[in-house]
Amino acid sequence: MTKAKRLLLFGLFLSPLVVFLFSLTLGPSHIPLSDLGKTLLSPLVKSWEGAVSPVQRDIIFGIRLPRLLLGLAVGAALSVSGASLQAVFKNPLVNEYILGISSGAAFGASLSIVVLGQVFPPQIGAFGFGLAAVGLVLLVSRGPRFSPVSVLLTGVIISAFFSALLSFVEFFASPYSLQALFYWLMGNLGSAGWDRLVVPLAVMAAGTALLLLMSWRLNVLSLSDEDGRALGLNVKRDQMIVVLTATLVTAAAVSVAGIIGWLGLIIPHLVRMIVGVDNRRVLPLSAVLGASLLVLADDAARSLAAFEIPVGIFTSLIGLPLFILLLTKSAKIWR
Amino acid sequence: MSVSARNLRYARPGFELRVPTFDAADAAITAIVGPNGAGKTTLLKCLSGLWQTAEGTIHVAGTEIGRLTDAERARRLAFVPQEHAAAFNFSVLDFVLMGRTAYLPLFGAPSPADRAIAAEALAYVGFGRPSDRPVFDLSSGERRLVLIARALAQQAGILVLDEPTTFLDPRHETEVMELARRLAEEQGKTVVVTLHNLDLAVRHAGRIVFLKEGRVIADGPPSDILSEDLLRRVYDIPMQIIDHGGRRFIVK
Repeated sequence: MTKAKRLLLFGLFLSPLVVFLFSLTLGPSHIPLSDLGKTLLSPLVKSWEGAVSPVQRDIIFGIRLPRLLLGLAVGAALSVSGASLQAVFKNPLVNEYILGISSGAAFGASLSIVVLGQVFPPQIGAFGFGLAAVGLVLLVSRGPRFSPVSVLLTGVIISAFFSALLSFVEFFASPYSLQALFYWLMGNLGSAGWDRLVVPLAVMAAGTALLLLMSWRLNVLSLSDEDGRALGLNVKRDQMIVVLTATLVTAAAVSVAGIIGWLGLIIPHLVRMIVGVDNRRVLPLSAVLGASLLVLADDAARSLAAFEIPVGIFTSLIGLPLFILLLTKSAKIWR
Repeated sequence: MSVSARNLRYARPGFELRVPTFDAADAAITAIVGPNGAGKTTLLKCLSGLWQTAEGTIHVAGTEIGRLTDAERARRLAFVPQEHAAAFNFSVLDFVLMGRTAYLPLFGAPSPADRAIAAEALAYVGFGRPSDRPVFDLSSGERRLVLIARALAQQAGILVLDEPTTFLDPRHETEVMELARRLAEEQGKTVVVTLHNLDLAVRHAGRIVFLKEGRVIADGPPSDILSEDLLRRVYDIPMQIIDHGGRRFIVK
């Protein structure tokens, strides 16, 4: 590995921290870096408590910190899930939504927003129906013909089914609830406070950690199923662990942030173009790069206009041209 | 370590394989030959535990294959597929390292010791190029060597190779068969191969199993069973066996 590349990797691993600190200062009320340090450490250092303005403390701990942590977690979780599913399905075109989780979640959210008012919040509707869609995919595709291809095909079909259900709900929705639904569907990070974040954050952290621990095994799982068995893997069991973990993690992300597109496809590919296909590098680097880029996209989404633009739009607007640029310049990394 | 099968039956629509007895001995090459569709690869994959048999018993190094977990089986028997089907472009070393899978836990990753084993395997098969090369850049001869190196990294006593010489030029063909022979004679491995090239089988195998339409037509050392009559029965075309300088050649 060249010196320049090592430097780049080092920078990538540090990037979430830099982006994190930078983004904390950003917003309608400017907080300089000097105040930021004091405020962040004030719960730990008793003597600083008096020196910190309570307004700044509320802004940082009540508004910006949860949003930033959510951004970092969702960015890492979606990117790592995407990379893991690409390995298990032996297909670089797979993304974290391929098994119908996004259309299931969208339908669940639409039920909540359009039909049931606020009886149950869209977060729970999205989580429940996202999992239900993947469960349905696995149920339909199981049996003797179980294979990555049959699972993918079933995923496409179940997605189409839930999209049709979503259209059905949208057709009968009022313009007001339609707008709320569209806003949710485009993905944004600012909709939830601490009380609704704790459980999804914990799920994303635990699931992402599990996938990171399996990163070498994902190399072997990316070979053909028969090859994996010949090398001594219980292929179906390991595939199931990865698929269920990635699903849970993605569902947790979607439930609090809506559908943020393309991260799980773009980030792992960017990383492979830099470090090759060994998942021991691809997964951790996808985590840090996904976390940094999503938070940067969110910074743009909340500071470019007087109102908030859904961050999902920015991940696509920033990510896709970058992706195309690198794709045309990179060595062959998949068949 | 050896592989044996008794009363093996494998069935899929339109095809049935029956092998009453099969034995592959230590420190020797056992070749399975026969026309396309005879069931050579099927037999190989049943013996390797990759395909489920309908009836019969298979013993791998003395243990019934069904009693072994995937990892236990892979530590005793290594299967070398005809072509590797990786979707991602791994480096040669990372690819060979996957041979260590059966020794690593769910959350494990190869240690420096595993890397040494992989490098040693690459050296043994005579792969002469840098091991950080991507596998998609290799020629088919080199790919075959890398696949064999991956199987060696499994450190199994039994090696099962599916048509290791198909699509290779005469030089690589010879190299692969001589490698198989060294593995049997130097390392005492049980080597089972399917082959299309009868000359290679006659020259290198201690035992040849002739298959046709899912049935065993002949089974034994080449010197005992090889005859023009047998070849005509198996392949349905006349063939001649010519003695030249103590070696036998088959002419179509």
